[in-house]
Amino acid sequence: MLNDLLIAFQAVATLENFLIMAAGIWGGVIIGAIPGMTGTMAVTLALPFTFYMQPIPSILLLVALYKGSTYGGSVSAILIKTPGTASAACTTLDGYPLARQGKAGKALNMALYSSCTGDFISNISLIFIAAPLALLALRIGPPEYFMLMVFALTTVAGVSGRSLLLGLVSACMGLLLATVGEDMYGSFRFDLTVDMQSGLAVAPVLIGLFAIPELLKIVVFRNTESHKPMQLGDNKVTRAELRRSLKSMLKGSMIGVVMGAIPGIGPSAAAFSSYGEAQRSSRNRDNFGKGEVEGIAASESANNGCCGSTMIPLLALGVPGDVITGVMLGAFMIHGMTPGPMLFENNLNEVYMLFIGMLFSSVLLFGAGKATMRFFSHIARIPPGLMAPIVLILCLFGIFSISNSMYDVIVLLAMGVFGFFMFLFAIPAAPFLIAFILGPMLEENLRRALAISRGDPSILVSSPITWLFASLAVFVVVITIRQQLKKAKA
Amino acid sequence: MKRALSLAAATLMVTCAANAQSYPSESVTLVVPYGPGGASDLAGRALAESARDFLGEPITVVNQAGSGGMTGARDVSRSDPDGYTLLLARVGMALSPAVNANSSVDWDEYTFLSPLEATPMILAVAEDSPYESVEELLESIDSDPGALSYAASGATAIDGFTVQTLLADVDLDPLTAATLVPYRGGGELATALLGGHVDFLAIAAGSLMPHIESGDMRPLMVYSPERMDALPDVPTAEELEYELAGQVIGWSALYGPPDLPDEVVDTWNQVMEQVAEDDGWLSRADDRGSISTIGTLDMATYAEEQYAFYRGLAEEFGYLD
Repeated sequence: MLNDLLIAFQAVATLENFLIMAAGIWGGVIIGAIPGMTGTMAVTLALPFTFYMQPIPSILLLVALYKGSTYGGSVSAILIKTPGTASAACTTLDGYPLARQGKAGKALNMALYSSCTGDFISNISLIFIAAPLALLALRIGPPEYFMLMVFALTTVAGVSGRSLLLGLVSACMGLLLATVGEDMYGSFRFDLTVDMQSGLAVAPVLIGLFAIPELLKIVVFRNTESHKPMQLGDNKVTRAELRRSLKSMLKGSMIGVVMGAIPGIGPSAAAFSSYGEAQRSSRNRDNFGKGEVEGIAASESANNGCCGSTMIPLLALGVPGDVITGVMLGAFMIHGMTPGPMLFENNLNEVYMLFIGMLFSSVLLFGAGKATMRFFSHIARIPPGLMAPIVLILCLFGIFSISNSMYDVIVLLAMGVFGFFMFLFAIPAAPFLIAFILGPMLEENLRRALAISRGDPSILVSSPITWLFASLAVFVVVITIRQQLKKAKA
Repeated sequence: MKRALSLAAATLMVTCAANAQSYPSESVTLVVPYGPGGASDLAGRALAESARDFLGEPITVVNQAGSGGMTGARDVSRSDPDGYTLLLARVGMALSPAVNANSSVDWDEYTFLSPLEATPMILAVAEDSPYESVEELLESIDSDPGALSYAASGATAIDGFTVQTLLADVDLDPLTAATLVPYRGGGELATALLGGHVDFLAIAAGSLMPHIESGDMRPLMVYSPERMDALPDVPTAEELEYELAGQVIGWSALYGPPDLPDEVVDTWNQVMEQVAEDDGWLSRADDRGSISTIGTLDMATYAEEQYAFYRGLAEEFGYLD
């Protein structure tokens, strides 16, 4: 294998391939940083260009765009409290407070270190343990998915802030709104208009909930504080901070690898779970949500930890786990390669070239991140009063461009107003978003499981994997209740 | 004033006429009403690549997913009939209005420009399944109705009808004899069978061929007018004399909004004649596992037949009650 890898190394290490990947990563970071523009969009836009390229460079370009955009999402999450992609939502919780404290550079650096670490570990896993992970992914059926989602939802307890009750209220509203539109059996729910038949898309809900309330706060409260530019000052991540975040970073990477390898789960759920886990086990638990670098490490290592392993079901099974790998499947097919078990027999050399290229891209991500950071961190110096309208315009254009529909723009604005009222009642927004993103997976897999068992609920605890996730969920709930009781006593 | 107005009107008419004559004078948008990466997206992009040389203007593919393809279809149907917004139509554009009384676009609210391709479907079980033939599978379903499950995109989706028509052909209840487990998209469907979470499925060939080639799935029957080149030993539904199932097949076509000007229609007729012979188009169709149907049938008639077929099924199965 090592010899094959070396031969592949020679084939990949050309200036042309480097330039393609660097351009992909760079473009991805910028697209990911713009609210509303997502990695999916970057990859889709690049697909037609790959028709004219060699097969491996074209896949590498798509991978580079994906990785870049996953990191780029954290840039806007930290600087303007608007996650560029849904998977950076948890990064906002600690990144933005840090930026407000004049530590934007520190937050951006931490996000970059964690992203690259997660990314690298994910690539290594793809290369060396793809087969067992793919088998594990196949074992995950509807009951296992359901229990995994229940476990992921326990993150809500961690991101609820001061009041667990308000966090639960927020999560319930998120679950409710996730049911809008056509359900899996073809019946329509809450379809007040024809457009609502297709439900509420994640991007406009996400951005409406995070970005618009900030704007409204400035307008309504005429907050003079917000007109002051943030100081850049504290830029570096200290060694002590790195050391105390290392555990969460590694754990986050592993969570990202496993969740990324399971088709259909994706980086958002991984980032939520990792953040929740870090917060439970960290010594700095109480500082989470107020500007804790460890929180950024947990969330960013997990979402980039998905980037490599999401290729596992695609390459090993020929099954795309999300839209991005779906586009990659298309790119493989256009070049006459069919991902799946046969790929390793028919195109082994190409597979190794892809692996080597992906390892390079982790390094390139670091370079591109460092290079763009200097430029991006100046954004923190623009006073929020001036920044808010710019962000609004960016959001409106970004959202409109996703599906060219005014409906999404209306959803964005409506969710913005909704988010502002949530702020007024001190209801945290993060639980809403987590429930909204996980809700459809939770519901659909519950209904699938019950369809298969013909209504017998015992299917939900019928395998060792379901026992594992169920006990993890119970464990978290018990811990949370105990902490709440302690707090009530104190 | 009056003269100025009529002059302006005359100028406007002349410019319009001049513009119409020079179709296309700018890039054409092809709306793919499903997400990127799927069979319809690839078909749309392959068409855009091949047709642009003959059209003389670039073709931009825009994905507009939602409501099983009907969101994008509706937007195209309501757009200006100027020939600059076209639709990559799928069987869903005839099927949805047939099975859904509240469908936002009817099957005929388009200009039918050309058929594109037929995409065969395959009935398959996992490699370790006890069923070696369609008969064995159906016998097992008959012996304990509801015990076996199949994955499909939805009850009234094309890959749900593949199974339901087969059940109806052997006088089993199409809705309850086998249990439907809905999934989203070809990748999820294939995974459900690979992981052993459902017992069988009958979906687009493109999503299954890799697994059949690797030996992880066993094909029992194809939904196609002829046997597939890649699977010469697998019988078609028609050969096995399943009357309804023998008529189910996936397809793509090129649609425009209603009342497209003759000029646009003529231009596209010429373009499609050339695409039909284009090597790039034909080899990409091969790669996707589909058969080019450009120039082989009259699209308006075919769409009507398809609508009537699924309307009949929907009434028979009770979807319209």
